[in-house]
This record gives sequence, structure tokens and C-alpha cells, in this order.
Amino acid sequence: MKQISKILTLSAVALALGACSTGLDRSRSLLNPNVSGHTLAQQVCSICHGNIGDAVNGNSVNPTFPILAGQQPDYIVAELQEFHDHHRKDPAAQDMMWGITRDMTPKQMKELAEYFSHQKPLPNPEAAEADPAMVKAGEKIFNEGFLEKAVPPCMACHGSGAEGNGPIPRLAGQHADYLYKQLVAFNDDAQRAEEDEKHHVNSNGDDLERPQGVAMEGIAHGLSDMQKHEVALYLQSLK
Amino acid sequence: MKLTSLLERARVALLAFLGVVSLAVSMDASAIPVFARQTGFRCVACHVGGEYPQLTSLGRMFKLTGYTLGNANDIFNLTTNADRPPVAVMLQTAKQFYASTNPAAGNGTAPSSSFDLQVVSLFTGGHITDNLGAFVQWTWNKYDGNITSGSQYTQSSGIDNSELRWADRIVTKDSDLIYGVYANNRSTMSDVWNTTENWTSDWIGYFNAGGAQAPTTFLMGAAAQHGEVGTGAYLFKDKTWYAELGVYKSITHGPLSFMTGGATGSGGVPELDPSPYYRFAYNKEWGPHSLEVGIHGMTSYVHNYGPGLTYSDWSGSVSTYRDVGVDAQYQYVLDPHYFSAHFRYTHEDMNNVLGVPNSSGLTPTNPTDTLNEIWADMTYIYRAKYGAMLFYHGATGSNDLGMYGYTTNGSPNWQSWMPSLFWAPVQNVRIGYMYTFYTQMGGTSGPMLNAGGLSAHDFNTSMLYATLIY
Ligand code: HEC
Ligand code: HEC
Repeated sequence: MKQISKILTLSAVALALGACSTGLDRSRSLLNPNVSGHTLAQQVCSICHGNIGDAVNGNSVNPTFPILAGQQPDYIVAELQEFHDHHRKDPAAQDMMWGITRDMTPKQMKELAEYFSHQKPLPNPEAAEADPAMVKAGEKIFNEGFLEKAVPPCMACHGSGAEGNGPIPRLAGQHADYLYKQLVAFNDDAQRAEEDEKHHVNSNGDDLERPQGVAMEGIAHGLSDMQKHEVALYLQSLK
Repeated sequence: MKLTSLLERARVALLAFLGVVSLAVSMDASAIPVFARQTGFRCVACHVGGEYPQLTSLGRMFKLTGYTLGNANDIFNLTTNADRPPVAVMLQTAKQFYASTNPAAGNGTAPSSSFDLQVVSLFTGGHITDNLGAFVQWTWNKYDGNITSGSQYTQSSGIDNSELRWADRIVTKDSDLIYGVYANNRSTMSDVWNTTENWTSDWIGYFNAGGAQAPTTFLMGAAAQHGEVGTGAYLFKDKTWYAELGVYKSITHGPLSFMTGGATGSGGVPELDPSPYYRFAYNKEWGPHSLEVGIHGMTSYVHNYGPGLTYSDWSGSVSTYRDVGVDAQYQYVLDPHYFSAHFRYTHEDMNNVLGVPNSSGLTPTNPTDTLNEIWADMTYIYRAKYGAMLFYHGATGSNDLGMYGYTTNGSPNWQSWMPSLFWAPVQNVRIGYMYTFYTQMGGTSGPMLNAGGLSAHDFNTSMLYATLIY
């Protein structure tokens, strides 16, 4: 009898609290397809990709999380799909973005891309700490490439201000640490692809961390570790 | 000891160790505890370098928004996800080594333990509705950490940190406000900066020989034993300002008593009249860094054990413990390097009732006493796999022969250092070694007169452990 009244009281408390629901507009559910992209941007993406004070402007603070503000909408959709399909599988993607996109619908992806591409990218505060000599060397790589290793100028694809275009991402103002890690991922992929070719294996990109980044593999492979750092620091300094 | 029984012990220890390792290796890397299943995140997303319980900025946000983020249907819709079990289990196998395995009676025994399964915790919780979530933990301990004589083998089990939270977050262009309410069973359970005794990284069951002799403030020690139920409200504005007010009370019966189940069965858990708890903090995040500075406190009204009174006799006089402190946290989170440091200083003013034992069964000789507790720790983790930690813990305060009778002057002062190393071959497994050095006990590093001539270092304890969480 005592147990029953306990259970009843508890259920009543839980129901009362449950009834105080703030509804779809402020949901953090990643399963409900009716939650809008805008709500997800506010309630979910903002936790990692948000700024302090203005949590929804897509200018992340910690370099673990790429800045989404002003990113190309086609690229955002493509990456969300890549995370969802477990194709993009560098460690940080597996740690977090696989979970975020597990049940994301195409409609939500489109709304999110629309939302973040319209946010204004802010100057990266970390840029002030970069070594000017490295930034300068990075600028040269960005504009002229590194022809000894057949690396084309980055601007040829990413645009003269690294603003990106369609499926080619914006890089301007992005966290240098994040950019560097992506270049390392493309570089490792180039090595894996080379190994596959040597052993006549057709892996279908299953063993690559960013299988969609074929265009970047040779480029990243052609840059030394130092050059990767330099170009990343230059890109971070762009506004 | 006979050689055969030694060999047998070694064999059992080896088997236990191999069991943990092989189980871990055969596990699906994505099959991990409740919140990870709900969010689809790996441990390292919410915990610094994967080192639970230390929370990252994301972990704090997850807790402050009521454990609701993720892929789960409203439980009231009754279509929860069968593919994700809503429970998790933690097993800890360990072996302790004691500097002195035969201390004088009344001053902490330190029997030897074999390498055996010592702690089992079960967890459940997570998203209930879009605003309501829970964290529920139940723990079984093979040994008792604070036993004063005889065998240390006293199994205990009961409810551990448990909480129900309702939260809302309003985000606009220039404001980000989280506010919420909670009900839980331990003041400081609500801590998101891992500065309180409840959530520091030495939390793993550690049957430390010096535990009984090392006095702590009521808030960080006795108040935190799940024998109370509290409710509180908090807000977190722009990831910058945090404010929280709560009130705690002992509950032995009635509908909320499930929150203290198993924790109030025996003596030694204080009876609390309604007692206020508060915390205010400033939080700043820039680049990979984050910093918290704040104040915490609680004024606890605790029933004494009058003559002939037992636990749950709601009578007798009341002692007051007023705790006020400052705390701070610094974190650097950017793979492959993870670093964190915590600090807290808590000052306690005690108003003792004379002539009757307090809730710990000790009879103070002074009407008022003070105690200052200091905690500091540092953690470095590389690639979420290799970790090193260093802890400092100690207290100073007024002498009281009734409460701290190990020396002739009744000093409560003590100091300890604890280095610790661990390895996490996969995120569900941690294998480590920690060593606690006591450099002062009873106000002295030398022999304590009333403790059978034991010195601080006789309480040194170390532990080899393997933890599996699944
Ligand atoms: C738990 C933290 C977290 C949350 C919440 C989160 N992300 Fe991410 N996101 C990351 C991390 C980490 C990466 C980098 C992944 C990598 O390095 O592969 C990332 C990468 C991305 C990228 C790829 C960017 C690029 O330049 O390639 C996109 C797009 C993205 N996130 C969108 C979102 C959206 C939309 C949401 C909200 C629905 C969201 N994220 C929520 C952590 C998070
Ligand atoms: C041939 C065209 C091309 C050139 C030249 C090129 N890129 Fe890219 N880059 C791409 C494409 C396409 C992607 C998107 C890959 C994907 O979807 O995974 C990309 C992605 C990237 C990314 C990942 C960005 C993110 O948000 O995750 C980085 C970093 C990058 N490029 C840097 C560079 C640098 C540095 C150079 C010059 C050394 C360069 N790229 C030259 C086409 C190019």
C-alpha cells in the first residue's frame, strides 16, 4: 500500500513537471522531425558552434568546433549528410557529429544550412596570437600554391578571399587548429588511397576519413607539416 | 600465508584483470553509457579527455539543460528506443596497498584486500520529456571506507547521486538564458565545475586508510552522503553568470524517501533540518580555454544524537555548521591535449551542542570550532588515453580534544598529496594507479600520541584499479 502511494505521488510529480513543456520551439530532441532547423540551431548547434552572448551566430569559440557562420549552404548540407551516413569519420566527427545527425531529416539539414550560411562571420580572435612570419608564408601558399609538389593555389578553388563556392567550403576566419587537422586528415587519406591502389584494393572510400575530399588529398599530401600550419594560420587571419 | 593460497590469489587477480581487458576489447566501441547512447556522443565530448566525471563546456550545458539533449522520444509517448538500453553499469576491480596494515585499534584499520570486484554502480536516466530529465545512480560497495575497527568487509548498497531536473533554455540574438529546477539527494550534486567533493576526480571508490582521521567540512563530507533530499533553482546566463539556491532536508519516509534509499538505513548519516545551499559563479570561455570562479556555501542544521536517541528520532538538540567557500576551475580542451585544474577553499564555523555526541558520534568540547578545508587538483590527459593527475587535500582548524583526539592538543590539521596515473585503452575502460601520501595528521607529521603512536605516513594508501563502464 505504501509503495503504491509512493508510486502515485511520484507519477503525479513527474506528470506535473512533464506537463510544463515549453513545446517544439524550444526542444532539444534530435529524434523529432517536427523540430525546425532554427530551433536546432538555437538549442543544439549553439552549444558547440555558438559564440558567447550571441549563441546562435555560428562563430564557435573552441577550435574543436568549426565556425559555421557564412559557410556555403551546399557544403553544410553535404557535410551533414556525410556525418549522417558515417562517411566522414575523422575522430572528432565520430565523437560528436555522428550523434547530432543520427536522425536528422533532409528538411532539417536544408534549414540549418540556410540558417548558418546567413550568419555573419566575425574576425577570429585567435588570429592576433599567430606568428606574422608564418601567416606571410601561408599567404604565399594560398595565392601561388607550392609548385614543386604540384600544389595548386588554394584560391583557385576556394576563392580569392577563401569565401568558398557551392560544395567548396569557406575557409576564411576558420580556426587554424581545425583547418590543420582537416589537412592532416586529407593527407592521411591520400596515403591510404595510395596503399589501396598499390594492393589493388577497391575500398570505395570506406577506409578514408573524408572520402568526399578527393580534390584535397594530393594537395594536402604535397604540403609539409609546417606548410599546413602556415596556410591554416593565414586562413584564420582572413576576415 | 601458505604458498598455495598466495598462488591462488595471484591467479584470481590475474583472471579478474584479464576478464576486464578482454571484455573491453570485444565491445562495440559505440556501446556506452546512458547519456552517450542518448546523444550519440563519445565520452570525450562531455568529459575532459574522456575522464569522467570532469565535465567539458558541453557536458555542463547537457546537465544544465536537464539531461534532455539527444535522440529520445518523450517517455509519456511510450515509444522509447528499444535499441538503446536506458541503463549503464560500472564495475571497479581494485587492490589497495596500505603502509601499515595493522594500526592500533580505533584509528582506522587497513586490512589487505585482494584484487577483487569492489564497486558496482548502475545508472539510468536521461531525457523524459523535452524539458525533464534524470540522473539516477545506485552503488554497491564491497568495503567500507571509514571503518574504525575489525574487518573492513562490510558490504553496503544504496542510492548514489540521483537527480530529477526540469530546465528551459531561451536563446535569442543577444541573450542565452538557461533556468531550471532540480530535486536531488546530495547538496553539491548540482555542481557542473567539478570543484566539490561530490564530483572531483578522486571519486572512484577508494578505501583510504586515512579517511576516518581526516576531518572535512560538513558540506563536503557528511552533508554529501545521500541521506538528504533537496530542491533548488538555478540560472545560467550567456555561459557567463551562474546562480543557484537550494534547500536540503533529511527524509526517512514518505514518497521522496526512495531518493535516500539505502543511504539512511544505518547510523552515521546526519539528520538535517531544512538547510540552505547556494552557489554563484562567473564562467568565461575563450579559444580552447575556460575559467570558472565562484563562491559556494551551506548552513546545515544537524540533529545531535542525544542520550538514548537513535537515527530517525527527530528530537534532540541541533548543531549548526556554516560553510562558506571560494572555488575555481581552469580547463584547456583541444585534442590531443586536455588539461584541467580545480581549487576550493571552504571555511566552516561550527556551533556545537555540548555534552551530546554530534551526528558523527563525536562529542565536542568547545561550543564553537572552525575548520578550513582546502582542495586542489591538476589533470593532464593526452589523446584521451593517457592521464596523470595530482591532488592536494587538507584542513586546518581550531583544536578540539573531543572531536580530534589523536593528539594531546586535539588538532584537526592534516595534509595529503595524491599522484595518480591512468590509461584508457578504449573509452569504456580505465586502468590506473593512485597513491595517497599523508604528510600531516592530527597537526603533526610525527607520531600522534593518542593514536597508538601512528604517524601521518602510516595512513598512506595506494590502489591499483581497473574500471569498466558499459
Ligand atoms: C557536441 C558538439 C557539437 C554540436 C552540438 C554540433 N556540432 Fe557540428 N561539429 C562538431 C565538431 C567537433 C565538428 C568537427 C568534426 C570534424 O572535425 O570532423 C563539427 C562539424 C560540423 C560541420 C562541418 C563543418 C566543416 O567545416 O566541415 C557542420 C556542417 C556541422 N558541424 C553542423 C552542425 C549543426 C547544423 C549542428 C546542430 C544541429 C551541430 N553541428 C551541432 C561538434 C558539434
Ligand atoms: C581543386 C580544388 C581545390 C583546391 C585547389 C583546394 N581545395 Fe580545399 N577543398 C576543396 C573541396 C572540394 C573541399 C571539400 C571537401 C569535402 O567535401 O570533404 C575542400 C576542403 C578543404 C578543407 C576542409 C574545410 C572544412 O571546413 O572542413 C580545407 C582545410 C581545405 N580545403 C584547404 C585547402 C588549402 C589550404 C588549399 C591550398 C593549399 C586548398 N584547399 C586547395 C577543393 C580545393
